[in-house]
Amino acid sequence: MRSRPVLRLLSVVSLLAGCGSGTGGSDSGGGAVNNVLPIQVSFGPADDLVNGLYTSVTICVPGTESCQTIDGVAVDTGSVGLRLLASRVSLPLPRMTDASGNALANCASFADNSYTWGPMATADIRLAGEQAGSVPVQIIGAPSFAGAPDDCSSGGTAEDTVSALAANGILGLGVFRQDCGAACSGGRVPPLYFSCPVGAPCAATAVPLAKQLQNPVWLFPQDNNGVLVSLPAIPATGAPTVAGSLIFGIGTQSNNSLGGAKVYTTDDVGNFSTVFEGQTYSSSYIDTGSNGLYFQDSDTIGLPACPDGDSDFSCPPSTLSLTATTIGHNGSSGGVAFSVANAESLFRSNNAAFNDLGGPDTGDFDWGLPFFFGRPTFIAIEGQSTTGGTGPYWAY
Amino acid sequence: MTPLRALLPAASLLLLSATPTWAVLGQPAASVASDQQRLGGERRSIAADDFSVEEIHSAAGTVVREYVAPGGQVFAVSWRGLTRPDLRSLLGEHFAEFERASRSSARGRRPLVVRTDQLVVETGGHVRDLRGRAYLPALLPEGVSPAAVR
Repeated sequence: MRSRPVLRLLSVVSLLAGCGSGTGGSDSGGGAVNNVLPIQVSFGPADDLVNGLYTSVTICVPGTESCQTIDGVAVDTGSVGLRLLASRVSLPLPRMTDASGNALANCASFADNSYTWGPMATADIRLAGEQAGSVPVQIIGAPSFAGAPDDCSSGGTAEDTVSALAANGILGLGVFRQDCGAACSGGRVPPLYFSCPVGAPCAATAVPLAKQLQNPVWLFPQDNNGVLVSLPAIPATGAPTVAGSLIFGIGTQSNNSLGGAKVYTTDDVGNFSTVFEGQTYSSSYIDTGSNGLYFQDSDTIGLPACPDGDSDFSCPPSTLSLTATTIGHNGSSGGVAFSVANAESLFRSNNAAFNDLGGPDTGDFDWGLPFFFGRPTFIAIEGQSTTGGTGPYWAY
Repeated sequence: MTPLRALLPAASLLLLSATPTWAVLGQPAASVASDQQRLGGERRSIAADDFSVEEIHSAAGTVVREYVAPGGQVFAVSWRGLTRPDLRSLLGEHFAEFERASRSSARGRRPLVVRTDQLVVETGGHVRDLRGRAYLPALLPEGVSPAAVR
């Protein structure tokens, strides 16, 4: 097990009264905006997650200098939108309502059968020197708010505490502008957005695109076509923590040019293909929010699962060096070398960051955080034009 | 092992229920019609050599497949879409077992694999594409591998 006692109380929230331009943002000379947000791989605010990728997010009451910085926010390219635990938000953010004045709420489901539920609010989001104004965000686990409806929880696990979420919030920076898109803006909508009248149950409702959870990056005035995730290479035995950068924009400044990176477009739900050991995994994706390399191994190379509580990870007797081919929707292809080590040996090291942590998946190929170490990866947002073409795509 | 045959009478209850419910894992396929009603979607049947598949496309963008053995029992279910179907209904009496077993598995935002002696449940995917499947290994028709459930 990777769970360990919480040895210290982390000071997770700092309230910055009137933080103003003091977010370390703009160049004083009116030149390029600071587009570099520091990110860290660590055990996170719950002190028990390996390969968790975190950053600090500054939110402000829209149009004001009343701001707050929340650290320990998970950086997740497998979801879209900013979601914050209510217990970590001290600002009085304005709540969102539908056309009838009823509270709007959002439901997000995640790969591990967990969900987040809570009301929508708006906030200005400041990341490095960039700002997106009045952005819809989700407040998770808000006290005195309606509980999750059945068609949200759906038999999943609520992640409404720091210990359940292993984070103070989630910054979703996937390839889409919104978490749902057109499917939630009209017709028979899926249960992602809910209208919550006072004294009546919450019911799924249609929400226009502008009122859905947003990838804040595409709302920046500049550097708004995507992000570059940059993490250094680390040893096969892991590293205690790792510091890296989230750089906003693709080909917009001197620090984010595509260079020799190859562009792999995704399909309309954000997948490309991975070919491994003769099998094609057409529902394949790259995701900082997955903490390992997850692929269906039993039908291919038969990696043994770890015993007991760690059976979600692979435990080969010795480290395997492997290669797969990734193929974009645009047909471009390239090899990706990766390793899978014995997860129990890795966990014994007490390191938080590993480039060779693997486990099984349900017929997919999930390139999680280990993919990113030493492999700068661009994530282009749908509909946004870049020097490498229009998103959605990944490039590396 | 749970004597699944003992559950056969539940089928008529499902059909009579005021709130339509799902055909559930390990139960007869007769309640697929109520699933279709609940999802408000189109249904089509796909016959294979060793089993049949009832596929329900919900208007809200989720596809649920129910795998029916020649004996008429649902031996597997799979899903894919913007949201996850209600696993309490889909797994039926196996849900409690799934919950118990998933509590002991490792954490992280990542695909989940839960295996017990009777049940396999796998969930995964990402925003706009959530996927999963569940099956009862003991009910897999002869010669059918879990890879057929997708």
